[in-house]
Amino acid sequence: MATTEPRTAATQKRYRTLAVVKQEAITRVERQLEDSVFVWPHLLVREFLSAVLMTVVLTITSIVIDAPLEAHSNPNLTPNPAKAPWYFLGLQEQLHYFPPTVAGVLLPGFVLVALALLPYVDRNPSRAFEDRKLSITLFTIFAIYFAVTVLAGSFFRGSGWVWVWPWQHIYFNL
Amino acid sequence: MSTMNRGLLDKASAAITQSQIWRSIFRHGYPDTPLNQSLVMMGNVFLHLHPVKVSRKAMKITYTWCLGGMSFFLFLVLTITGVFLMFYFVPEQRVAYTDIEQIKSAVAFGNLVRNMHRWAAHLMVVTVTLHMIRVFYHGAYKPPREFNWVVGVVLFLTTLLLSFTGYLLPWDQIGYWAITVGSNMASYAPLLGVQAHNALAGQSVGVGQPTLIRFYTLHVIALPLVGAILMAVHFWRIRKDGGEAGPPPPSRRELEQARAQQDVAAVGSLN
Repeated sequence: MATTEPRTAATQKRYRTLAVVKQEAITRVERQLEDSVFVWPHLLVREFLSAVLMTVVLTITSIVIDAPLEAHSNPNLTPNPAKAPWYFLGLQEQLHYFPPTVAGVLLPGFVLVALALLPYVDRNPSRAFEDRKLSITLFTIFAIYFAVTVLAGSFFRGSGWVWVWPWQHIYFNL
Repeated sequence: MSTMNRGLLDKASAAITQSQIWRSIFRHGYPDTPLNQSLVMMGNVFLHLHPVKVSRKAMKITYTWCLGGMSFFLFLVLTITGVFLMFYFVPEQRVAYTDIEQIKSAVAFGNLVRNMHRWAAHLMVVTVTLHMIRVFYHGAYKPPREFNWVVGVVLFLTTLLLSFTGYLLPWDQIGYWAITVGSNMASYAPLLGVQAHNALAGQSVGVGQPTLIRFYTLHVIALPLVGAILMAVHFWRIRKDGGEAGPPPPSRRELEQARAQQDVAAVGSLN
């Protein structure tokens, strides 16, 4: 048997990285094993059922309630009030209190940037509710303010953005 | 079922699952053993974003409320119903409105599919918002998951923009004036107001054909593509950052109490 083959790319030994196992994964044997279950079937069955439930709810809603379609657009006929989609009505409500640059651009821009930076600003490592009183209070105030202004803009504002009670008239479209 | 029928059924299912075609698709047996339950998760492209096992506590319905999963499912529903609507809708200001009327009245299942698209879109804004709120209260944005929170914020914005761009397409009074109000807001941006408005509306005054084609293109391809890519990152990062965060651990005070009790017990055992 000839054994002196040249070491070409085909014959030389090659290595593949199959996995990088972090140290703690093998050496920390005293770490408590988490109480875990197989994703098949335990998680998948939950996901499947929630998808089925969602499909049923969506289909029934869509059979019962028609999506709105108003008259053909008319550039010469401005509806009063002209409302944005519901999730922007909190911002439109701000227009009532602040100049447009603040309410329409700076405020939403600030909120988005602040949300994105939240994990880098909130340096508190604890996830327990009890240790996070400040951040939870601030966020809750913000969330309630947002929800209240969306509701106000949706159901309590009429022509000229004046306050109208929902039992008088609702100017709202989905 | 008679024994003969059962025998036939067993033979038929065996013939199918042992055929070369079946085994070329599924490389493992039915997932009722731990080995096959692992192989199915690792060998299936649609399932492999999931881990093989998941913490029982993090999986509880009352922990996640399925909000992220439902948002993703609604995105899929919106993609399917949206493709259906694209077959019939032409983004041209003279025909857009009548196309919607046609979908409602003349297209088979058109009204149902349009309704589903509309309601799923509103629902997705709700589920994404609630998902974000849920993640905040559980502190699941904290290290090592801080970047995935940022991706989530951009996905939230993408969802709003998808809904907003879709709002104009029926070319009715609601959409037309909502987008007029919205794009006028852009013109109040500091320094670049005029440019921001023109970029959005495609024209300097009001909303017209250039706006319609821009919103349509953003709605049916640009934003869904951004969303899909970010979702891939978002789901991948859940795995890479250690899976779902799970319910918050004990607070500092509770940990201290537990430690104090341990100390008392230790002293007690010494005596």
